[in-house]
Amino acid sequence: MAKLTLPSKKYRQKMTVFSAVVVAVALACIYTNFNPLGIFLEFHYVRDLLGEMTPPNYHVLSDNSSTVMAILQTLSMAFLGTLYGGVIAVIIAFLAASNTMPFRAIRLTARFALSFLRVIPILVVILIFVIAVGPSTFAGMLTLVIVTVGNFGKLFTEMIENVDNPPAEAIFSVGASRMQVIRYSIIPQILPTLIANLLFAFDVNIRAAIGLGIFGGGGIGFQLQLAKSVLHYKDVTAIVTLIIIMVIVVEKISDYLRRRILGEGKLR
Amino acid sequence: MQVRMFSFKRYRKFILPLIILLTVTEGAAVICGATFGKLFEGLYRGIAFFGNMYPPDWSAFSEMLEPALQSIVIAFLGTVFGALMSIVFALLAASNLSHPWVRAVTRFLIGLERSIPEIVILILLVAAFGLGAMPGVVALSLGCIGMLGKLLADIIEEIDPLMIESIESVGGNKLQVIVFGVLPQIIPNIISYTLFRFEINIRLSVLLGAVGAGGVGYELDYSFGMLQYHRAFTAMIIIIAMVFGTEQFSYYLRKKLKMEGALK
Repeated sequence: MAKLTLPSKKYRQKMTVFSAVVVAVALACIYTNFNPLGIFLEFHYVRDLLGEMTPPNYHVLSDNSSTVMAILQTLSMAFLGTLYGGVIAVIIAFLAASNTMPFRAIRLTARFALSFLRVIPILVVILIFVIAVGPSTFAGMLTLVIVTVGNFGKLFTEMIENVDNPPAEAIFSVGASRMQVIRYSIIPQILPTLIANLLFAFDVNIRAAIGLGIFGGGGIGFQLQLAKSVLHYKDVTAIVTLIIIMVIVVEKISDYLRRRILGEGKLR
Repeated sequence: MQVRMFSFKRYRKFILPLIILLTVTEGAAVICGATFGKLFEGLYRGIAFFGNMYPPDWSAFSEMLEPALQSIVIAFLGTVFGALMSIVFALLAASNLSHPWVRAVTRFLIGLERSIPEIVILILLVAAFGLGAMPGVVALSLGCIGMLGKLLADIIEEIDPLMIESIESVGGNKLQVIVFGVLPQIIPNIISYTLFRFEINIRLSVLLGAVGAGGVGYELDYSFGMLQYHRAFTAMIIIIAMVFGTEQFSYYLRKKLKMEGALK
């Protein structure tokens, strides 16, 4: 039995880490002039804003068609970004997985491309695409394509590498080519998870698409920024509630589809 | 015997989903104005633009270090305060600790927060408090609740009930149950999720910076706005290094915690 010392080594270790975090938080607060109590002391600003924001002005929906159009734009931006991003991610994942790509050089290149795309922040991508294709929904869509590939490429690679090997070996042993192994052994195994993950990617991308609007990606985020910058806070409230409703509806639909696909295995 | 390569029967159940998918794609492409012509034109212009940007402006490098630190600090504070708030929310949202009504309300709040993107929260906070680090920190901490709150609440619901019962049986009150029965069991999970959230918050703090929380995201957006592309390139390099560095750091910490089982 270890010698019992008080306070024990583990306790001291815990306390060291804990106090280090507390000191770091205190220093960080001083550095940024952030006063944790400030949110309560300055709460009247929030109250003023809330007073200006209510009641929400839902006439933004009926007065001009741009709000409805913006919602559609955001949805289609996220949809196309997910779809094309997913397709590209799957292709790169097949190139990067060790059980589908025999050449080491290509595999390493694909892996490098995936990890590089993973660390590029969304802000960098959207700013470049806004310059390349002009501020439009198209720029937002291309950004989402890149981001989807970055976020899900590695996951798909791991998915492909983790498939059950025996079916592949079985059909390989009776003379199937590499393409046939992929088609008849790997794709049927990964398809349900793949679709479920793409639905999840759609959820993520909807939220990202709203943010992109502010930087020139168009869509509902742009409308929000516009309403805020001309100080129409009643419109802002309406748009925020619309965003919440949109996100929740999309989440419910994709939950439902995911449960159908994973639960019953219909598309297997 | 002739083997048919393509049999209609086999692919029948794929046809309807495929038709729907194609229709939706086409409709979305029309709304987005996405065409291949524009894509190639854009690619050409994008590559030309990289040529424009190429030599990064190293003289701006030292000016950028401070905003980068600011971004990291904002993300750090947001994560710490967010994690603290998430723990409170998680305790209230766990079915084995709180009243069903409280649980329902808290779960609803967590779900509501989850559906508001952080950037929308930030825009509202900037409208309330003005520019600066504070709305950034608050937006990031609120953003944590949706994810961490839900994950931690699910974990609390699955912890070993024996510990809670034994503390209750010797007369511990609710607070004692939480401090001595619940928290020690979930601390490893709290730490690893918090580190994971920190990675997300670093990315978000770059994005939020451009909207008004300051930091290196603002530098990048500003350089693009001023058409100083060489400077913008420097900012990009710093941002990518920052994201990569924190990711490796948090990965290292998480692996270490897992291996040593420290802080358990």
